[in-house]
Amino acid sequence: MKKILNNPEDYVDEMLAGLTAAHPEYYKLHGEGGKVVLRAEPGQNGKVGIVTGGGSGHLPVFTGYVGKGLLDACAIGDVFSSPSAEQMADAIRAADSGAGVLRLYGNYGGDVMNFDMAGDLVEFDDITCSTVLLADDVASAPPQEAEKRRGVAGMVYAFKIAGAAAEEGRDLDGVTAVAQKAADACRSIGAALSPCTVPQAGKPTFEIADEDMEMGMGIHGEPGVWRGKLQTADQIAGEMMDRLLADMPVAAGDRVSVMVNSLGATPPEELYILYRVVKARLEEAGATIVKPLVGRYATSMEMTGVSFTLCKLDDELETLLNAPCDCAFWSVR
Amino acid sequence: MNITRDTLLAAIDRITAAMERDFEMLNAADGALGDGDLGVTMARGMRAITQMKEELPEDIGMALLQCAQAFTKTSGSSYGTLMATGLMSAAKTLRGAQVIEPASIPELIAGARDKMQARGKAELGGKTVLDSLDYIVRATADGDDKARAAAQAVDKALDDFRDKPATVGRARIFGDKSIGLDDPGMLAMQSIIKAATGS
Repeated sequence: MKKILNNPEDYVDEMLAGLTAAHPEYYKLHGEGGKVVLRAEPGQNGKVGIVTGGGSGHLPVFTGYVGKGLLDACAIGDVFSSPSAEQMADAIRAADSGAGVLRLYGNYGGDVMNFDMAGDLVEFDDITCSTVLLADDVASAPPQEAEKRRGVAGMVYAFKIAGAAAEEGRDLDGVTAVAQKAADACRSIGAALSPCTVPQAGKPTFEIADEDMEMGMGIHGEPGVWRGKLQTADQIAGEMMDRLLADMPVAAGDRVSVMVNSLGATPPEELYILYRVVKARLEEAGATIVKPLVGRYATSMEMTGVSFTLCKLDDELETLLNAPCDCAFWSVR
Repeated sequence: MNITRDTLLAAIDRITAAMERDFEMLNAADGALGDGDLGVTMARGMRAITQMKEELPEDIGMALLQCAQAFTKTSGSSYGTLMATGLMSAAKTLRGAQVIEPASIPELIAGARDKMQARGKAELGGKTVLDSLDYIVRATADGDDKARAAAQAVDKALDDFRDKPATVGRARIFGDKSIGLDDPGMLAMQSIIKAATGS
């Protein structure tokens, strides 16, 4: 393992200390042990709060999307492991300004159990919570078991759209409904060429030969749908689009946002090579691309690989996607 | 006999001592079927409760809520979260009360069992702590000596399930290998109930 590290035990604390030191205009630490990140400038009173949470190691997800027009708070755990229910409850309490709190996060067992628990804890403080889970990864379960799918980069669209709705002053039911609509509109798939290494483990989370790749890999090294020889960029992008469009067909006149996301180590050059195919395929179907996002939005440490996310828009989702937002990693003006 | 803050504090001392005594046994039982940290989870949670027990309020519901929070603060592991879930279920029912009446015990345990089942997405009969709780609910439904009935129920649950395979949780992966082995979560509940009831 080659990493720039001090004591691996301090990885998350030091990362959060640096993140907040670099961007004090966006982020501040909160709670016992400082594992909750809040907006430096809280939203106005009476705004629905939006919280997320999950393991570290995915920046800009989750912590990075705390900001105006996005999230109010994030509870962050150790690398690839869930924060505790108590940290999540701290995040919910901090995000509440009287209008209730939406818990918006990825479908992972530990996170679900602890966020449910956190909801029970804050009931004693008379805070109302709702939940929307991202389950956008088409490789993780077939369509008839879509609710079992894991959540990946589609989270970014849901954060943005729910954040804009909350900023507009919608109530908890309204924000929750549009967040669910955004979550339902997203489909993602990933492809990985190399593993990643959790600092405290010190060895790769899985092994993959130099000449091989894996299609459908999750963001913690969860197995994909096949492993085989490394293909060309156009073949990789073609198959990823095949799988996405098979799951969520796109028709003439549809408006779709797309994200071509690096899993950590893949450079922007390669993302743009892949984007050509994404664009061609959507245009071939007669769809219009809105606000393409090409870059590093949801990563998995230094994993080499890419994920595609399609978000099919209606007028409401498109308006909210285009509304202003601001954080250290993404701004819409 | 009603359970008050004083009897709760005494039970906390006995359970904490039992978890220290059974630390290695629970880790080993968990290690045979899972990740081997159940003794750590239980000892850490009970140590945290012991540390703040003098500050527990007279409101028995709020006292149980703080006990639940000790588990959520010290452990992200599933058994710790399930313990907290069960305690919070009782805490909600008892909020504002100063005593637990014996007659309410089956209902409180049944509430905890149902909440834990919902949170852990496990089924009854799967050889988990839920089965121990279910046995307690049924054993305490009638009769005066609820403590004795509960203590006998946790033993009987272990005996009845020992030779069945686990069908839920991580132990399920071991399939038939779990036959003949006691479920670690059921063992922990046996220690807790025996210590709590002083049997």
